[in-house]
Amino acid sequence: MAEKNSDFEPNIVAFLCNWCSYAGADLAGTSRIQYPPNVRVIRVMCSGRVNPLFVMNALQQGADGVLISGCHPGDCHYMQGNYYARRRFMLMRNFLEYLGVEPERVRMSWVSASEGAKWKEVIEEVVNGVKSVGPMNKFQRRQLNW
Amino acid sequence: MNGKPKIGVYVCHCGTNIAGVVNVEEVVQFASTLPDVVVARNYSYMCSDPGQALITDDIEKFGLNRVVVASCSPRMHEPTFRKTLLSGGLNPYFLEMANIREQCSWVHEDPIAATEKAKRIVEAAVVKARRLEALDVKEVDVEPACLIIGAGIAGIQAALDIADAGFKVYLVEKSPTVGGHMAQLDKTFPTLDCSACILTPKMVDVANHPNIELMTYSQVEEISGYIGNFEVKVRKKSRFVDMDKCTGCGACAEVCRMAGRIPNEFDEGIGMRGAIYLPFPQAVPAKYTIDKENCLFLSKGKCGESPKCKEACQADAINFDLQDEIVEFKVGTIIVATGYDVFDARKKPEYAYGVYDNVLTALEFERLVNASGPTGGKIVMLERGKKKKKKEGEEAEAPRVPKSITFIQCVGSRDKSVGNEYCSRVCCMYTAKLAHLAKDKIPDCEVTIFYMDVRAFGKGFEEFYDRVRREGVRYIRGNPSEIFRRGDKLVVKAEDTLTATPLEHETDMVVLSVGLVPRSDNREIIDLLKLSQSSDLFYLEAHPKLRPVDTASDGIFLAGVCQGPKDIPDAVAQAKGAASAAMIPMASGKVKVEAQTSVVNEATCRGCGFCVAVCPYTAIELVEVNRNGWPVKVARVNEALCKGCGACAAACLSGSIQQRSFKDIQILPQIQALGVK
Amino acid sequence: MVEVEKLREIAREVISRDDVRQLIGYRQGTYGFRARPAFITSPEEVDQLIFSPACVNNLATYLTLEEKLPVPRGQEPDLRKVAVMVKGCDSRALVQQMEEKAYERDRIVVLGIPCTGVVDMDKVEERFPNVLSRGEIALEGDKFILSFDGRREEVPKEELLADKCKRCRYPTPLVYDQLLDQEVARFADDDYSDIVELEKRSAEEKWAYWEEKFSRCIRCYSCRNVCPMCYCEDCVLDRLNPQWMRRSVDLSENTAYHIARAYHLAGRCIQCGECQRVCPVEIPLMELNRKFYKDVEELYDYEPGTDAEAPPLLATFKVDDREDFIL
Repeated sequence: MAEKNSDFEPNIVAFLCNWCSYAGADLAGTSRIQYPPNVRVIRVMCSGRVNPLFVMNALQQGADGVLISGCHPGDCHYMQGNYYARRRFMLMRNFLEYLGVEPERVRMSWVSASEGAKWKEVIEEVVNGVKSVGPMNKFQRRQLNW
Repeated sequence: MNGKPKIGVYVCHCGTNIAGVVNVEEVVQFASTLPDVVVARNYSYMCSDPGQALITDDIEKFGLNRVVVASCSPRMHEPTFRKTLLSGGLNPYFLEMANIREQCSWVHEDPIAATEKAKRIVEAAVVKARRLEALDVKEVDVEPACLIIGAGIAGIQAALDIADAGFKVYLVEKSPTVGGHMAQLDKTFPTLDCSACILTPKMVDVANHPNIELMTYSQVEEISGYIGNFEVKVRKKSRFVDMDKCTGCGACAEVCRMAGRIPNEFDEGIGMRGAIYLPFPQAVPAKYTIDKENCLFLSKGKCGESPKCKEACQADAINFDLQDEIVEFKVGTIIVATGYDVFDARKKPEYAYGVYDNVLTALEFERLVNASGPTGGKIVMLERGKKKKKKEGEEAEAPRVPKSITFIQCVGSRDKSVGNEYCSRVCCMYTAKLAHLAKDKIPDCEVTIFYMDVRAFGKGFEEFYDRVRREGVRYIRGNPSEIFRRGDKLVVKAEDTLTATPLEHETDMVVLSVGLVPRSDNREIIDLLKLSQSSDLFYLEAHPKLRPVDTASDGIFLAGVCQGPKDIPDAVAQAKGAASAAMIPMASGKVKVEAQTSVVNEATCRGCGFCVAVCPYTAIELVEVNRNGWPVKVARVNEALCKGCGACAAACLSGSIQQRSFKDIQILPQIQALGVK
Repeated sequence: MVEVEKLREIAREVISRDDVRQLIGYRQGTYGFRARPAFITSPEEVDQLIFSPACVNNLATYLTLEEKLPVPRGQEPDLRKVAVMVKGCDSRALVQQMEEKAYERDRIVVLGIPCTGVVDMDKVEERFPNVLSRGEIALEGDKFILSFDGRREEVPKEELLADKCKRCRYPTPLVYDQLLDQEVARFADDDYSDIVELEKRSAEEKWAYWEEKFSRCIRCYSCRNVCPMCYCEDCVLDRLNPQWMRRSVDLSENTAYHIARAYHLAGRCIQCGECQRVCPVEIPLMELNRKFYKDVEELYDYEPGTDAEAPPLLATFKVDDREDFIL
């Protein structure tokens, strides 16, 4: 049984596309909208850059959850990247669920550059979801301290 | 990069924006423990001159070859600090920024949690910085020539502006004459300028301008290349008339055996022409064209004893052996100004267009009121398809003048049932104009307009709308449901929604204010140029607010209604905007291409083509290389076309194609730094 | 059933051609009932070729597996065609390889064998253990006939038939230059009932199931080596720069390996089942690949290995693809 104690603060890795989601997250910042500090961001130019194996790698390295956020369909700065991302992550999420990785750990969102408020909602939804399923303790990599 | 990475980490206070929440000393202390970090400092405002000097001094003092700035968002100051590195003698792409303001100190209240997160963000930036590479910023030359596709008012205006600035213009028009739809109009709203009078001088200019090569009756067949270096192939269709010899006298058209038997496209099918024709008297170029589908000689091989046009031509200009000509040339920029079609009113069968002769589209009505139109500017009831032969000695029946004309607005616009949700923007005003012209030509005619809203938003529009109502045009708010015949009248069934009264309005003639729709042949341009369409199927601009004339492809611009419905002043303004945008790269002569492009490791690539298939810019192609004596296909990136999105890198199963600055080997350590608890 | 003499006749004809350098078929194995691949380069060798329900190997994998030795200076590479015998399922590998431009259609000569099913060798060996002398398997009606050591045993077909054959959708090859027998009509379909059953379990039960399986993995890479779709020059799964997963035999790394390989096969695995067959520790690899296969079919209406002109699955999208999981 995964521990679900109230002290559990999940560690969530997020991939944000530069043109929409990263800008939306910045907007949340300039608007001083407060949200939980559990999400750490990696910036990519497009959600289409995110290889689903990054999700696997993040969970293996110790992240409790992964979030990929991009532009709304039709608005991708590079026209199509988010459509590819949508297909890839639908498949990867289903597959990881099939192995026993709770779907709350693999999330995706469309956040545009003007949706600072939505970014906060997305963070809260994702953090609460991961909290409800506890720390990721399946197939964790052993860390070697040389 | 020679030797080990030597990383300098700079943590900005940003006044109290960061330092008020994040313990910057602790972050600096932490950063200095990270491998390969040679120096770690904090400062109040890193973007200021002294802040930037810290970096350039340390580059010299410590031989730094990587820089991490932990401060605001890279979307804020990445360009600033890239310049700092450049001025310190370092390639600007050795910079990595850690966003500890917008995404940390400004959004987290708890200083302990915020500091902890800031440390992790800095660590991720340091591990990425360790693996950054120097990138070249490439420039390509720009050919100082522009291709403009479409010679309506937008294409013409853009061509004149660019040509006047001294650049070469290739203006390609599909139909035999320039002028587009504006040439078909009689008067323009709200000033009631004569459309032909204001257009024809520009048409003549465009034909005579030394910098403009005008190709009419021509189509663009192929375009390849990229901004600054487009290779264009145009097919100049044969008119079967020698353009150098034709004087435009018209003797051929008078004797053509098909004269008066082919519906004239320019007159929307109301007027007729022959197989050899000039679309309208002021056509530019004023050269006749033989329509090979309808010409008896060209389609059936025989025209009576011999073609009469050839006999009649004094200049011996008619030559049935002339072939299409293919021309190829290079341009630096392209403007698409292909215009529009009007909505096909047969898609609204309840309005009985095509069933009753006197249900017209607005463009047909425009041709009726036009003095150079098929009725010489007289508004008369139509008898379509019937050609009454004059019996010997009998007077031709005088055409009837309608006593009442009814307009119906929003036909094919604002209408989900036909798939056009948008408003066509010009119809309220052109309906008011046509109503005014109807009243002007037939003073005692009852003119009624059925509308949903009246959109009179522009300069002089509201005043014109007022004037038209004062002239006695009656506006009834209600969208008619159907049109049917009663005796010799048409009946428009509608509801006056302002008084909630259903009514059956009897009228002689109905004019449907059809909306503007994308051209039925716009697929050709889309395929040529890889343009995108908006949800309304007009061409998609790069950004709806800030880049209305650009497309997602550099060097290709949009002007006129092909980008979205608009009236003549807006089309002209946009054309001038597109011309100006096109002139920027042509004037500077060089254009920068994206540095964070993708690159293929040809040794590991297996030539499967997944990257080629996903690239939105067709920037990747498979080329044959020699691998140990065997011919194999591998992917190769055209760095001028690549925009740096990275979709290829995620699609590649062998990890052979990678995006510079966002390679797997640069991202995976970031994941480790952020993921490990 | 394929007549051996006709098969050898056609093979002789093909390998005698000037433009064919090699023919890949089946011959009898070293012991027991097994068959093994045959690589013949001259008409004299044709008489060793066979076809029977023991011919389980997917020969399409050899087209991409073949090591291309460096061509000595002054010599030209031998670009002649390769002929290959394929069953229905194997032919899908050819189609998929051509979809991925591994080679052009005119570089191969395909001898298609419409297949009525092959045996599961594990089931055969369980039924008749320790048979060291060479035996043969034939199909007569709905029974397998096993001939060995002077004995003749009859076994009902469904007791020895490979599981994958019980779900076969394409018994007749989808691409061929010549068919070596009459076409076989489809006799089965796949309803993914095994996947659906696993999907119903709780997260804990699922992980417990897979944890046990992945713990057994010894990273022998047999699954990858036998797979016709795995032919990258330098596989990301054991690359060091960057390193996605460690090569150590460790639950975490093994899991990462299997997730990554299954994902790489999404929209590409043509269900030949070879990976599961060759796994020395009996990991049910098809249960991994078929999960992707089922989702790909249900969500995107795509079946790999059926149309060489189709674009790759993950290089396409529809504007209305499902996105109910996206915030």
